[in-house]
Amino acid sequence: MDAIDLCIGARRTAQFSDADFHDLNPGQPIAIQITLGDLPDALRSMEGYGQYLRGYIESTSEVVDEPGSGIETVLTLQLIVASDLEPSWSLFSDRAATENATRSLAWADRVRMAPTRIGGGSEAQLGWRRGSVLARLTGEEVTGGPAMLQALRDARATFGSTAQKHIAETLKTVDRVASDLGVPLHGGANASLDPGTASVSAGTVSLHDARGVPLRNLGTGSARLLVAGLQRAAAAEASIALIDELEHGLEPHRIIALLGSLGAKEKDPPLQVFATTHSPVAVRELSAGQLNILRRTDSGLQVLNAGEVADVQGTMRVFPEALLAKSIIVCEGASEVGLLRGLDRQMALSGTPTLMARAVALVDAGGITKVYSRAGAFTKLGYRTMTFRDDDVKPDAAIEVAFEAAGGKVASWGAGRAIEDALFGDLGEADAALLLDRAIEIHGEGLIDENIKSASSGKRCLADRAALLNEPGRLVLAKAARSKPGWFKSVSWMEDVGFDIVGPGLSRAAAPFQAVIQGISAWME
Amino acid sequence: MDGVTPDEIDLLAIDRGSVSAPAGCGKTHLIARTLTRHSDPKPILVLTHTNAGVAALRGRLDRFQVPRASYRLATLDGWAMRLIGTFPGRSGHDPSILALGNPRSDYHAIRVAAVELLQAGHISDVLSASYDRLIVDEYQDCSEIQHFIVGLASNTLRTCVLGDPLQAIFNFAGRLADWEKDVREHFPPAGELSTPWRWINAGEQGFGEWLLDARRSLLAGGGVDLSSAPANVVWLPLDGISDEAIKLEACRTPALSKDGGVLIMAESKKPDRQRRFARNTPDAVAIESVDLGDLVSFARAFRVTESDALDRIIEFAESVMANLGGTETLERVREHLAGTSTAPPSDAEAAALRFAAAPTHRGALGFLSALNAQTGVRVHRPTVFRSCLKALEACPDDEQASFLAMAIKMREENRLLGRPLPGRAVGSTLLLKGLEAEVAVILDAHGMNPAHLYVAMTRGARKLVVCSRTPKLPAW
Repeated sequence: MDAIDLCIGARRTAQFSDADFHDLNPGQPIAIQITLGDLPDALRSMEGYGQYLRGYIESTSEVVDEPGSGIETVLTLQLIVASDLEPSWSLFSDRAATENATRSLAWADRVRMAPTRIGGGSEAQLGWRRGSVLARLTGEEVTGGPAMLQALRDARATFGSTAQKHIAETLKTVDRVASDLGVPLHGGANASLDPGTASVSAGTVSLHDARGVPLRNLGTGSARLLVAGLQRAAAAEASIALIDELEHGLEPHRIIALLGSLGAKEKDPPLQVFATTHSPVAVRELSAGQLNILRRTDSGLQVLNAGEVADVQGTMRVFPEALLAKSIIVCEGASEVGLLRGLDRQMALSGTPTLMARAVALVDAGGITKVYSRAGAFTKLGYRTMTFRDDDVKPDAAIEVAFEAAGGKVASWGAGRAIEDALFGDLGEADAALLLDRAIEIHGEGLIDENIKSASSGKRCLADRAALLNEPGRLVLAKAARSKPGWFKSVSWMEDVGFDIVGPGLSRAAAPFQAVIQGISAWME
Repeated sequence: MDGVTPDEIDLLAIDRGSVSAPAGCGKTHLIARTLTRHSDPKPILVLTHTNAGVAALRGRLDRFQVPRASYRLATLDGWAMRLIGTFPGRSGHDPSILALGNPRSDYHAIRVAAVELLQAGHISDVLSASYDRLIVDEYQDCSEIQHFIVGLASNTLRTCVLGDPLQAIFNFAGRLADWEKDVREHFPPAGELSTPWRWINAGEQGFGEWLLDARRSLLAGGGVDLSSAPANVVWLPLDGISDEAIKLEACRTPALSKDGGVLIMAESKKPDRQRRFARNTPDAVAIESVDLGDLVSFARAFRVTESDALDRIIEFAESVMANLGGTETLERVREHLAGTSTAPPSDAEAAALRFAAAPTHRGALGFLSALNAQTGVRVHRPTVFRSCLKALEACPDDEQASFLAMAIKMREENRLLGRPLPGRAVGSTLLLKGLEAEVAVILDAHGMNPAHLYVAMTRGARKLVVCSRTPKLPAW
């Protein structure tokens, strides 16, 4: 955002320090290039900018050094900061660079193209300052003109007569000293406002409400909303807006209102808006093409446009939070989400960084059939993705293989087991007993008894507690736990199970169970 | 012509068309007024053929106070060079052609590259963003390939071309586009200027109308009979015996007013004869072709340190000055050098001796100036002479290469200057085309084709003197 603002903002200078350079190395100049399209005729003129005119091929997003048939004529603006820390703005083209020619955009054109930045300092936009959105709407600076000057003169006159009384003694002293020294003061000393200090300058005029309260005193969110709305109205004059953290200070419905006022939902957006966000509301409201995911990679900053990936819109709408994470675990259902949450809270007690700290998002796919459509979308969007699923119903093997080939990781209980099989089968006997007790606590003895009977075809009932717990694999309990609606089939039930029972009992669990949990843990590192 | 408004045709209403403009009918005035009326922020591109034409047109436009922002003025070739130079990648030409090392082939290559660039459509968007419309002046001088360039540009830009097929006498850019066939086919006729403003403003409307009649007849393949011309036209019959005397007499035709001027047209293909008439006619000067060949060949051969340096200077001076007596001067200088002379050296001889003692470009400059300062000596080729003095003065050192470089630089500067019109000028129709005076003198009318004849006859606003064997012209 700063790079865009620095490069195409209308400023004559900017402060830089060594800290702005990559790796603190001022020997390698900062170079920011921005290519601008949709240019007015004056900027596409070969008389004015001939050797800087370039071409943009929309189909390949490629900038070529010269305009061409059927492609858009564009200009590339460049900001270079070398080790002297002096910024220099110029136009760029390969052929001009070859000839060592330099040329800048005319100042008026730079002002015209300058983006409006809606950030922390939105107050400035609510006055008629140079380059402010109000000034653009008006078409010029408003200084108050003659009316303001008259008001200032009146103030000087009034001040003089009122102040006279308070400083009469001082004035007398001045008169006396002056006459002693023979310095002529025509008509004696007088006190008045200095015409030089009370002047009319740009920014003097700003917006106020009916009571006279300056609108810059509005809450952050309101001020930003208002400025964004004004920006929209001034779109013909200034078509680029920069918004830092667009959700800042806004409730979800006002975030939506802001996006709407910027034209996010329109077919032909009136503005080009560069906004950063960490808000799931914003992610959900935008179309995939409007969303770019920025990541730092070893080779630099990576920008991935979500619109270039097929079939992600639905996932964006349903799991916007996940898109704000670094790693995503796509869980088959609520149980898996709950279990991981509970375990996470438990491990946090022993000092392990939490899922949140590791920027891991958990997603409930809502059934084995949907796991890979979701997980596939996330891998395409470049996220580290893991699936966590039962093994009683297997997904399409080919799809899972492809997912793993694309870098995805699969966590599963294996051996055809569901989560209930794993819990009852692999936990220690005492922990399995706690599970049973928890089920009774949640659902009451009657339902549990009934489930056990039907799971064992009437051979067992709740009263056979010891036998149920001693059964190898505790298959009856596992099967009963899977009865509709399921003993722990909710995020909160399973989360509590994870925190209260599975976490503390993990070290006593059978090896396969521990292996699955450790695999997930290790992947999150 | 200022003060009158020949708004017979609205050029801004023409999207693609040609206007035929007989000589002296207010074409430049029309262009200037059109540009003055133009209010769009995008400039109008105005193209003509020669740098001198650009300079002359710019002078006229400045006099009409046309805002410079409302037009861009260039030569067709200059604009073609800009096009391909600005987009070298799309054009794909050999960059060396822009240096014009071999003008003839390079200009051709430039035009071909411009055609290809325009044809591919790569710069259509840029063109329409750059200019509001295109006006091409002196269109009759367009070669076929230049016509092709303008035609391609007209696919993008509204284009109006102005010219007079009967004034088509430039012919160095290849075959000229045929006005009837090529030009009118692509640029449909949008009107013809028909008021002889030059003659009306000179108070000689009848003369002007007669010239328009003559033009119509010549265009139709007919002729002109001087014996039925108005009194403004004086026919001096050549008898084949005393032709030279008659022509010299014609050269001395008095001017009609102090600033009126006399333009004398001698045989086009014989520059030596033009210069001889200039030398032998008091006050006359020769108009030079833009390549200033004599200056450049002098600069190529002249080396201050060579033993023939003095001879070269005298030889050059002889070629640009009348009544010099260069051979005698040289002899006396030799005597002084040999110590055999008893008479004190004249100023010119003293300058020559100084040069001989310390041969420098500055010394050569002093010698040439001293030769010119002699009583009775007259420079009849001031363009060549002054450019030579300037080149010598600008030389940073005494290397022959730097003199040659300076001479070429002066030639190029001269190319860009408008030609200040001397009171009595001798040249060819080609050289005097576009110039005008009160009196025009044609020395060899019988050798002229209809176009040359028409151009020559229309140079004078009040009087025309024609030397020919018969009063019926053309007779070539």
